[in-house]
Amino acid sequence: MAAFVPPGAHRPGGNNSNQSPSAQQHPPPPNFGNSPAALADNLQNMNLNRPHSAPRPSPFSQPPPPYSFSGPSPGYRPGSQLMARPGPSPPNAITRPMGPPSGALPGVAPGRPMAPPGTRPPPPGSLPSSMGSHMGLSPRAPAFTGGQATAPPPPGVSPRPLTTGILTPPPPGPTQAGPVSNGPPVGSGPRFGSPGGMSSSVPPPTGPSSPSAPAQVPSMGPFMTGPPPTSMPAAPPFSGQPPFSAQPPFSGQPPFSVPPPPAMGPPQGSPFAAQPWQMRPDQMVRPPSGPGSAQPPQMYGMPAHLPNQSMTSISPGMAPTGASVGGPSKIDPNQIPRPIPSSAVILHETRQSDQANPPPPATSDYIVSDTGNCSPRYMRCTINQIPCTADLLATSGMQLALLVQPLALPHPSEEPIQVVDFGETGPVRCSRCKGYLNPFMRFIDQGKKFICNLCGFTDETPRDYHCNLGPDGRRRDANERPELCRGSVEFVATKEYMIREPMPAVYFFLIDVSMNAMQIGATAAACSAISQVIADLPEGPRTMVGIATFDSTIHFYHLKRALQQPLMLVVPDIQDVYTPLQSDVIVPLSECRQHLELLLESIPTMFQNNRTAESAFGAAIKAAFLAMKSTGGKLLVFQSVLLSVGIGALSAREAEGRTNISAGEKEAHKLLQPADKTLKTMAIEFAEYQVCVDVFLTTQSYIDIASISVVPRTTGGQVYYYHPFSVLSDTAKLYNDLRWNITRPQGFEAVMRVRCSQGIQVQEYLGNFCKRIPTDIDLAGIDCDKTIMVTLKHDDKLPDGSEFAFQCALLYTTLYGQRRIRVTNLSLSVTSMLSSLFRVADLDAQFTCLLKQAAMDIPSSPLVQVREQPVNTCINILLSYRKFCATVSSSGQLILPEALKLLPLYTLALIKSTGLRPDGKIDDRSFWINYVSSISTPLAIPLVYPRMIPIHDLKTREEEGSIVPSSIPLSSEHISDGGIYLLENGDDALIYVGGSVDSGILQQLFGASTVEEIPSQFVLQQYDNPVSKKLNEVVNEIRRQRCSYLRLRLCKKGDPSGMLFFSQLVEDKNHGSMSYVEFLVHIHRQIQTRMT
Amino acid sequence: MSEMAAADPEGIDGVRMTWNVWPRTKVEASKCVIPLAASIAPIRPHQDIQTLPYAPLRCKCSAALNPFAHVDFSAKLWICPFCFNRNHFPPHYSMISETNLPGELYPHYTTVQYTLPPAPLHPQNFTGSAPNSHPPVFVFVLDTCMINEELGFAKCALKQAVGLLPDNALVGFVSFGTQVQVHELGFSELSKVYVFRGSKEISNDQVMEQLGLAVSGRRAPGPQKGAVQNGFLGSNSGVTRFLLPASECEYILDSLLDELQTDQWPVTPGNRQSRCTGVALSVTAGLLGACMPGTGARIVALVGGPCTEGPGTIVSKDLSDPVRSHKDLDKDAVPFFKKAVTFYEGLAKQLVSQGHVLDLFASALDQVGIAEMKVAVERTGGLVVLSESFGHSVFKDSFRRVFEDGEQSLGLCFSGTLEIMCSKEIKIQGILGPCTSLEQKGTAVSDTVIGEGGTTAWKMCGLDKSTCLTVLFDLSPGDKSSVPGNVNPQLYLQFLTSYQNSEGQTMLRVTTVTRRWIDTAVSSEDLIQGFDQETAAVVMARIISFKMETEDGFVANRWLDRNLIRLCSKFGDYRKDDPASFTLNPSLSLFPQFMFNLRRSQFVQVFNNSPDETAYFRMLLNRENISNAAVMIQPSLISYSFNSLPQPALLDVASIAADKILLLDSYFSVVIFHGMTIAQWRNMGYQNQPEHQAFALLLQAPHDDAHIVIRERFPVPRLVVCDQHGSQARFLLAKLNPSATYNNANELAAGSDIIFTDDVSLQVFFEHLQKLAVQS
Repeated sequence: MAAFVPPGAHRPGGNNSNQSPSAQQHPPPPNFGNSPAALADNLQNMNLNRPHSAPRPSPFSQPPPPYSFSGPSPGYRPGSQLMARPGPSPPNAITRPMGPPSGALPGVAPGRPMAPPGTRPPPPGSLPSSMGSHMGLSPRAPAFTGGQATAPPPPGVSPRPLTTGILTPPPPGPTQAGPVSNGPPVGSGPRFGSPGGMSSSVPPPTGPSSPSAPAQVPSMGPFMTGPPPTSMPAAPPFSGQPPFSAQPPFSGQPPFSVPPPPAMGPPQGSPFAAQPWQMRPDQMVRPPSGPGSAQPPQMYGMPAHLPNQSMTSISPGMAPTGASVGGPSKIDPNQIPRPIPSSAVILHETRQSDQANPPPPATSDYIVSDTGNCSPRYMRCTINQIPCTADLLATSGMQLALLVQPLALPHPSEEPIQVVDFGETGPVRCSRCKGYLNPFMRFIDQGKKFICNLCGFTDETPRDYHCNLGPDGRRRDANERPELCRGSVEFVATKEYMIREPMPAVYFFLIDVSMNAMQIGATAAACSAISQVIADLPEGPRTMVGIATFDSTIHFYHLKRALQQPLMLVVPDIQDVYTPLQSDVIVPLSECRQHLELLLESIPTMFQNNRTAESAFGAAIKAAFLAMKSTGGKLLVFQSVLLSVGIGALSAREAEGRTNISAGEKEAHKLLQPADKTLKTMAIEFAEYQVCVDVFLTTQSYIDIASISVVPRTTGGQVYYYHPFSVLSDTAKLYNDLRWNITRPQGFEAVMRVRCSQGIQVQEYLGNFCKRIPTDIDLAGIDCDKTIMVTLKHDDKLPDGSEFAFQCALLYTTLYGQRRIRVTNLSLSVTSMLSSLFRVADLDAQFTCLLKQAAMDIPSSPLVQVREQPVNTCINILLSYRKFCATVSSSGQLILPEALKLLPLYTLALIKSTGLRPDGKIDDRSFWINYVSSISTPLAIPLVYPRMIPIHDLKTREEEGSIVPSSIPLSSEHISDGGIYLLENGDDALIYVGGSVDSGILQQLFGASTVEEIPSQFVLQQYDNPVSKKLNEVVNEIRRQRCSYLRLRLCKKGDPSGMLFFSQLVEDKNHGSMSYVEFLVHIHRQIQTRMT
Repeated sequence: MSEMAAADPEGIDGVRMTWNVWPRTKVEASKCVIPLAASIAPIRPHQDIQTLPYAPLRCKCSAALNPFAHVDFSAKLWICPFCFNRNHFPPHYSMISETNLPGELYPHYTTVQYTLPPAPLHPQNFTGSAPNSHPPVFVFVLDTCMINEELGFAKCALKQAVGLLPDNALVGFVSFGTQVQVHELGFSELSKVYVFRGSKEISNDQVMEQLGLAVSGRRAPGPQKGAVQNGFLGSNSGVTRFLLPASECEYILDSLLDELQTDQWPVTPGNRQSRCTGVALSVTAGLLGACMPGTGARIVALVGGPCTEGPGTIVSKDLSDPVRSHKDLDKDAVPFFKKAVTFYEGLAKQLVSQGHVLDLFASALDQVGIAEMKVAVERTGGLVVLSESFGHSVFKDSFRRVFEDGEQSLGLCFSGTLEIMCSKEIKIQGILGPCTSLEQKGTAVSDTVIGEGGTTAWKMCGLDKSTCLTVLFDLSPGDKSSVPGNVNPQLYLQFLTSYQNSEGQTMLRVTTVTRRWIDTAVSSEDLIQGFDQETAAVVMARIISFKMETEDGFVANRWLDRNLIRLCSKFGDYRKDDPASFTLNPSLSLFPQFMFNLRRSQFVQVFNNSPDETAYFRMLLNRENISNAAVMIQPSLISYSFNSLPQPALLDVASIAADKILLLDSYFSVVIFHGMTIAQWRNMGYQNQPEHQAFALLLQAPHDDAHIVIRERFPVPRLVVCDQHGSQARFLLAKLNPSATYNNANELAAGSDIIFTDDVSLQVFFEHLQKLAVQS
């Protein structure tokens, strides 16, 4: 449940149904034997659910007394997972014994396997007790894996490695070959910079087998500890792998008290380095091993299970009639569905037995093996089967949509996307729909023709691409060609895909130096952040930098080297701006490094006495845009006060809204709309010239995010919001955010289109982009964190049982000036069964859609309506399930589909979220809306249902093994007055200190003996004691997981800050809304009403 | 040469009139053909001028006490010669007596100068404690749309200029090309410039606001840290930001100039560079208006080409469109001209109201738009220099002269105001020359307006010791009513010029002149004696230039001819219809020749020049003194030979001889012309041989004389040294009377020269004049 690491944790339930990969791994041994058990469990679950908390094995609940919930949930998981996996595991088990693989594995698995091997065997038999123990173990493992995915390999991962290793057995020989072959591609394809590192790291592991492995392992460890973030980042520094040098980010981080930044860096290249070998071997091996034989069977087994488990029903304990009064009391709060932490890294094959494999929960720690469909990280569908008619879909109450995150960070152990270069002819495409060649296009007529899986057209195979078909009807070279066997592949774009030379990497920094910005220290913070980040910019002549400052005028800087000092060029006309120089405002980094440093150093003093309170943000970005117009690039704006003069000047609407409450009631949401069209018009122009704007709002007052955010949203950028800005606590975050912004994998001047097979069409795209023609979206910038939601619409009936394909093509320019087309394919089967739809529903994707749609509606509809919407959706889905799929007829029970059993909880959390809360500040809500618009699936749920962990007893629980302790439910019942809790939502974090905390702990963690002595401007320090160290480790690990430097705010009991903390506990009755239990009752009653 | 001929024809007063005796009636005056006019040099230095350390006594009519006032020593009162009012002397004049006269009453001190306490011209600035002298202010406006070499010359000149400025002079710097860059010299951390778009007209308020100089821009409360430094009593932040004492900013400016590049904006092939001269000037004017309103300041603009961007544009960027010519102006085929002129008129108005001067240094092979900018330069009393290159001595030396101290100094002064008092029969039509009407109405204002008229007071934002104005008078129509017996035989004119001298002191110079009325009905003899041919010629030249510019369809030659014929008819001695009998009084005899040369001059024959050159010539014609202006009309020619001293020669092709050296001074150029033989000798190097020292001396003499001329003159003339039959000889030949052309070449002696022209010669001109003058 919630107790364990959040990432994996949430889905416990879902995992079960999905037969999460991790489960499979563990079970391996039990395999077949287990499966039956699993079934039994499932059945139990179902029954149990209804009655009470039955589903959860009692044993669990007992072992983890403190966290009763956590206990149970794990239990579920294990059970279900084990069950599910059984199929696959057998091979593993068999293989394991194999000496060869193990050798290779050891290196990888070192940590992981160790524990599991011993323990695992037991699981099958000793489910209850052993389970408990397992749980304990596994949870820890997961934690590590989740957080440090690669690094901790030992604990969590171990299981997988083994299993995988086992699977790979064939690979022993192959493995090496595989890796090698991969290596090359990796190098070329690997995204940003890491490639080198990747390839290098890979070989050693495989070859050296045991000896080498050990060596590496140790190194891994260090990584983990040092730069908590992903192993990736850490790896580079430690290992000193040259390739990564580009990512030195880590080294840069030291400045700050906390190493957090590492998180940022890691994601990129490093991940590969660290774990690559482990995973790869597995993945690599598999394909060769003969996808046909061993695995298929397993696959089949799996599906079967899934359907069965699909539903979990929970009875709120309500009296049948819905005795509302009595009902709640009967509900055992411990029995209601809650997220269950996933304990281990899940191995996920995207397709098994020629069928799409429903993906693991987005928040879990999983490693994908691309066997035809793309990794769910890149593209996820809300339902993993496609309803054959629009009616069927409508009946289900669910929405059909895709969540596309085309540049998502892969797991460090995953095989990087391979780059395919077709030379001058460019990638093979369907001549009618222009779809790109993919594994689902069928070659016929001895390979002379192929049938497009998107439009059905039959094309001639280009002569040089011709290849005969094998006996299985596939091309003989299918397995050697990534475009024919991988769901994701990247094509090298030819001249035809360029209207100009690929643009250089241009970074333009725009800094507010108005009086206010100076006084609150925002300017200094921005300058220092930029100056540190300069080192992280890609080297080479293609990296261009420009800088400007603004208050009521705009100041550019001539950075040409010949000048003794930079020349400041003031553009004073803020109604009709222009760029002051044709060239030299933006210059290659290599030519201006010194000037830039000097300048950044002097800006804070230069404007020290600035008396200008006005801000011409609109004019400033326009001017910067004009300077960048010829190339495009990233415009990073640091803004501290309301845009008050010049182009697009705004008024303090918030105040107007407040004074005019009567009118405000009806029109309140208008404040969440842009004040006028000026900025929108500008933004569209920016997008046209490939300028991507990111805005860092370091402010202490109203800044009208609703208006400003239009610019980043339209240009593929992002809003960062630091409110109220504090030099002390936000400087580090600002730096880390900026650093991640710049160093994360990203692309420029991108165009994206999603194609579907016939019968469904794309209805709408949602996210941060600019749309000029209906079919494509233009992304001046696209990075690994940005997700685009694509809603779909039936326009025809689909043949039942057929395969339905989605293809997302992203044409973009890399940081290094290569033009690429990233193609991700997802092929799902079509079904006419409603129950199948519920079985394969993807809770994360569904909820993310719900969230995004709610956010989109907020500015245009009255809040009451917006709040009703998700609840209605939730009710409709459950109602449909109840009506058409549930076999139980007891009206007194609330029956939830297993896959969606947490939907009510998240729905409740959603309507209590910042954006939908009626008492939220305008800017906070605007920011929330904006944050959500591009939020990725893994971050969606934590945003509304944060993870809370107790941190007052870190030391005592150290033996658990995972860095981040398991989470506890967001309910005040779980808060003790003597405790300290950390609550984080992926963007922000709160530390709550109870009223009667032991002063020793306080002293150790905060260096203060009483709560009052802790400064409210809180900065986490590391003191020389194990508890403090541990806390820092935990925080850093979370930062790494989230790829975000969480700002820590201290909340004290009795303070307004304490209220803030409690307002986050969504399961409580607060914000004038129901508690979780009440909400379940409410939903149940609604369903009952509608049933009748 | 005028210098030699008349030592000082203008005397202490610096006043020369076309007529030194005046006919009494308007009708008589009109019969005189040549208008009543005075050329005045308001602040021309003269050794005899007394400077009195107090303010003058002023009559109720505001005329100052002067030697022509009738003083009653016993009653301690004086009678104003202009209005005949009686004024009592104030107490501090109580010591006055016949033997104890104040300076202004000494009979020969018709011109005296007073030093005035500094009067705040614009009380709203510089509250109270105005420093006892305002430092002069120079804002340099530099064009960067040039080739590197040219820009290098210009920078070099600028650096030199800043070095020459007095330490306390305030300096500002603006550069422009496609955009305008206003350099904030007082910003210490790094070089800072404000950039203005060149394509957009910008109002004065906008300039101030955008430079952060508007009141609203400074509204941030709290102590103005940093503004207090610099000794300006925290007065005006603009002063400390944009204007810095020369001593402080010399280094800054030097390094700034070192780094200054030519305009970096790309120029598409086939196009002119984009140059926003207009915006640059208006931004600079706005800057000065905000920083230094009402105190003397100069905008020194160095322009290297035509304005092609924004307001003031004179030609499109497309190189296939040539810059307008006189022919285009004539045909009205000038799409930009009127708009540009209107723009510069507005600029002129602004500058005048601020009391600031625009100096224009144009150096380009093509035109830069002087014709359009003329109004702004002339109305503010600015300097103008036109040359081919910033590397040319015409620019280099002239520019240096502006800033140099000592003998050569131009004596630049600021904020001049001229008031004219005159006897009540006299009306003022207007002034031709570098000034602006202050629109101060009075009884002495004539209905007819010529030039800057409709007023009795004029503003001269900038003036220098050689500044010269032409005042055109009129007489009251048929005002015979005054009792004949009581008629005053003398007329009086008083010119009061207040100005701020280069040290920042406020001075007032009062010049009072008197002339005799004459009853022309009796005889024209006296009238003729009072005729000043040189002045008359110059005044005619100024009037005709003015008319050519302002009157549509004006035919200059015909107007000149008609007037000349009328003059000759009226004042010549002849028998009717007998050309041979025609003679002219010596006081008049040179005049026809002046007119002949005027007809041939660049002022009338404009088609040989570009509109820019014409405008340039005319501006100088209007602001130079009579002698110099006469040289422009009729160049002086001196001949050097072995046999005699240098002597004036006829301005005739016949003066050319193989063994002579000629020195021609046409004001704008000084030509040394070696006869063929001389040139051959020189080429053979005889001058280097000791036995031919005389030849060396002969060669050297004209150079020495030329340099005397050049040294005295601003702008520095172009020195042309040429040989007979050389290509450069055209500078001489163009000015000579073509008495010998190819038509009569066969009649000529060897060694002489001919001019290839169909122009009439002086002789032919005279013949026709005589014939027409005697016609009944």
